Amino acid sequence: MHTATLNPFTFARQRFRRWWQSRLPLTDTTTLTQRNVYILPTRPGFMLGATLLVLLVSSINYQLNLGYLLTFLLAGSAVVGMHVCHGTLRGLTMNLIAPEPQFMGASATFGVKLLNSRRTARHGIGVAVLDASHPDHWSWTDVPAQGASTVQVAFRPARRGLQNLPPLTAETRFPLGTFRVWTVWRPAAQILVYPAPEPFAPPLPPGEPRSGGAASARVQSTGEFEGVRGYRRGDPLKLVVWKQAAKAQARGSDELVSRDTQQAQRYELWLDFALAGGGAAAADTEHRLSRLTAWVLQADKLGLDYGLRLPGIEVKPASGEAHKRRCLEALATC
Amino acid sequence: MLTFARQLGRLPRDGRDTMFLLVVIAWLVLPQVGNLPLWCSTLAGGVLVWRGWLALMSRPLPGKWWLLGLLGITIAATLFTHRTLLGRDAGVTLIVVLLALKTLELRARRDAFVVFFLGFFTMLTNFFFSQSLLTAAAMLVGLLGLLTALVNAHMPVGRPPLMQAARTAGWMALVGAPIMLVLFLLFPRLAPLWGIPGDALSGRSGLSANMQVGTIASLALDDSIAMRVRFEGAVPPQSQLYFRGPVFSTFDGREWRPLSRRLGTQFPPPAVQRPANLQTRGEPVRYEVTMEPNNRPWLLTMDAAASPPDVPGFEAVMTADLQWVASRPVTDLLRYRAQSHPEFRHGPATAAGVLPELRELPAGFNPRTLALAAQMRRDPALANSQGPELVQAVLQRLRSGGYSYTLEPGVYGANTADEFWFDRKEGFCEHIASAFVVLMRALDVPARIVTGYQGGERNAVDGYWTVRQSDAHAWTEVWLPGPDGQAGSWVRVDPTSAVAPARTGSLQRLQAPQGLVAAALGNVLAPDLAASLRATWEAVNNRWNQWVLNYTQSRQLDLLKNLGFESPSWTDLSYVLLALIVAASLLGALWALWERSRHDPWLRLLQRVRRQLLKAGVPVPAAAPPRQMAELATRHLGEPAQALAAWLLRLEAQRYAPAAHASVATLRRELRQLARPR
Repeated sequence: MHTATLNPFTFARQRFRRWWQSRLPLTDTTTLTQRNVYILPTRPGFMLGATLLVLLVSSINYQLNLGYLLTFLLAGSAVVGMHVCHGTLRGLTMNLIAPEPQFMGASATFGVKLLNSRRTARHGIGVAVLDASHPDHWSWTDVPAQGASTVQVAFRPARRGLQNLPPLTAETRFPLGTFRVWTVWRPAAQILVYPAPEPFAPPLPPGEPRSGGAASARVQSTGEFEGVRGYRRGDPLKLVVWKQAAKAQARGSDELVSRDTQQAQRYELWLDFALAGGGAAAADTEHRLSRLTAWVLQADKLGLDYGLRLPGIEVKPASGEAHKRRCLEALATC
Repeated sequence: MLTFARQLGRLPRDGRDTMFLLVVIAWLVLPQVGNLPLWCSTLAGGVLVWRGWLALMSRPLPGKWWLLGLLGITIAATLFTHRTLLGRDAGVTLIVVLLALKTLELRARRDAFVVFFLGFFTMLTNFFFSQSLLTAAAMLVGLLGLLTALVNAHMPVGRPPLMQAARTAGWMALVGAPIMLVLFLLFPRLAPLWGIPGDALSGRSGLSANMQVGTIASLALDDSIAMRVRFEGAVPPQSQLYFRGPVFSTFDGREWRPLSRRLGTQFPPPAVQRPANLQTRGEPVRYEVTMEPNNRPWLLTMDAAASPPDVPGFEAVMTADLQWVASRPVTDLLRYRAQSHPEFRHGPATAAGVLPELRELPAGFNPRTLALAAQMRRDPALANSQGPELVQAVLQRLRSGGYSYTLEPGVYGANTADEFWFDRKEGFCEHIASAFVVLMRALDVPARIVTGYQGGERNAVDGYWTVRQSDAHAWTEVWLPGPDGQAGSWVRVDPTSAVAPARTGSLQRLQAPQGLVAAALGNVLAPDLAASLRATWEAVNNRWNQWVLNYTQSRQLDLLKNLGFESPSWTDLSYVLLALIVAASLLGALWALWERSRHDPWLRLLQRVRRQLLKAGVPVPAAAPPRQMAELATRHLGEPAQALAAWLLRLEAQRYAPAAHASVATLRRELRQLARPR
């Protein structure tokens, strides 16, 4: 990458590519027409051209009329092959299947559905993410006549957060390999990329005592303490907070509140950005986020209640899939 | 073949593709085997079989050193065989071996492409040796095979059946054929861009530049066609159809040679001492000759052509022997027009003008023939003869002396004339002619041998007069003084006709012994049917020669003339080609425009109904499916729209039901019969 930017030609090419791609409309469904399907000869294509030239010169020099026939038939087939190649992509409809959120570091995959309304099959279509930083990983497929097929495309997100999908490219060299026909497509859908979970993350932090921190402050302000819950049938009478019951009755409600002994005895798990550094001097924001992500996953796996405290955002302790998603989203976008 | 296909079907994809490619390559190389050095065919065959075995057993490919070793051996063997690495024959050898060796190195995509392109070259090299219809058909199959393999290589998913790739390849070739045709017709035919290596001109059969007893007998076994003649008007009688080739005047006892030994390699022929002194009478016979390449500069004409044959791109000169010689050897099918006068005289007017060489005989040969001559001279009736009587006497001897005409005269010894006259008494035309000339010269009559073709036959299918190599003939010319002191001239004497009148009088030729296949065919097919099959085949072949192999620049220009160009030239040809290309591009653009507006026929049908409904005042949304349209139609239009609604439901079933009942075409027909919604 570094050497590439030093090379003025490559640099110009990359700039041009970026400028040109930015002009493409963002859309989740695209039908390929003459306007957005491009074609250029490949290296074997040039080789075929050279072959044809040699065949022609041989035919001229040895005055072989049958040689002319061979040369021209081959040339004719190559021209038809060029049209077939272009026609393989032209008229194809590509649908993006909405991508699921992904973790950084892992290869994100998403599906592209190729629809063929033509009465003949389309062969050898490859779809890949257009990314200059690594060689393309093609997923090849055939699209049956008047049918559809789905390909999974992988890419490696460069950063976390909500982001546009990278531009996609579809390519074919069918039938002769002498031409490369391709298209570039910028999907409109966005993908959410969570921070990469830290591998071998330290164990979950110790919980904070129920009375500590914000909870104790609230006790003071309200004269109440945490660790009460609604009365459940079967609660022993000694656990009922009668004082509260009296207050409630005074308000005209017959709600009963029980003392939650279990909760009261345990700690509350808070995953705190400020505490995720682990004391290491080098720990920066991303590192902390990555550790928090690992912790979220760990806590979710254990089925614990956990809260997340990030600069500016706080997610109340809870558990479950939706909660996990909320936390991961917060981690991704903060 | 079927079991092979089934076995191919069981192989994994890689193995199957490789086997298929190997079979195609073998197909391309096979026609060459006769023209390649033995080691080359063996090596190529061995490598292909080895590679096939590796593919079948899924073994790894041999290492780099194997390849380098084989390559080294190849180059050394090529150098040893051809003494060079350049030139046509060495090039063909190298290409074939490289193609075979490259199959051992099929690793990357690039390697596969190299194999394909070498395959195309190999195909072309076949044409160096034969451009017949059969070769063309075989190579067409080969080209389709290579294209199939190429298409198959670009179907990366799964294990597509080879037939699918073959269909695509066939379709491309089919659609490519008009492009081929236009280019073939209009691409300007150029002269060779640089000199052709000499070995391009070897290995073709025909008349020879000298005559050793026995050569023509071997030619007579060759049933291939030497030339085709189209006469304007009636075909002259068989007895006039002498097509003149080389004339032999010097004899060393074994071999007859032309006066100038260098004739045939030098142009113009070395200044011959005497002019032909040709005088013609009567109406000329006009005809067009399509001559197969003979690698000689001889332009065969019927006796006697006074004006040079009209050969595009050649210069022609007449030798003193009345033979027409071109400026360079005829290496391709050649067509020319000529006119000949069957009535003619030529040669020196007086006996003094005849070269002394034409009376000479080598010393020490044919003593019994010389004795015979002396004995004839002692005959009072012939003692003072100037020639005509002597000729008659010898012909009489041939007729009545128990001489016969045969294709298998056996091996002659040193004294060929003696053996013919006294021992064997049988021979082919060259033996007869040679013995005749020897006896004439022994009698002090100037005589020489003329070779060429005599006779031929009419092809009933296309009317061309066909002259075969088996029509090759040798006859003689004797210089006779004119009667009563008039000017003398060369007179054609065909001694073979004295031995076997049928040989020159009618169509009959001695049948060469048939090959096994031909004999079997002859037994199975009625002779008439066999003859007519052969005539048809040769007519087709002639068409092929006329329209494909002999399509030259002059024919191109003729074509332009027919298209209405006054005086077509090279540049006009390019303009026409360019105009066609532009027209084709325009058509392509129009087609692209049309295609853009084209939709799925089912959708088109649905849109048509939507427009009808809109016209009838039913508010149908743009993306309404058939069921919704049906509901809307019945709701707004009521009873009259029932049929349309039912049709719409059928349309829906056509697309979405698991088993479609009606085709889109049927539905379209049904819609046309329905009443328009109102």
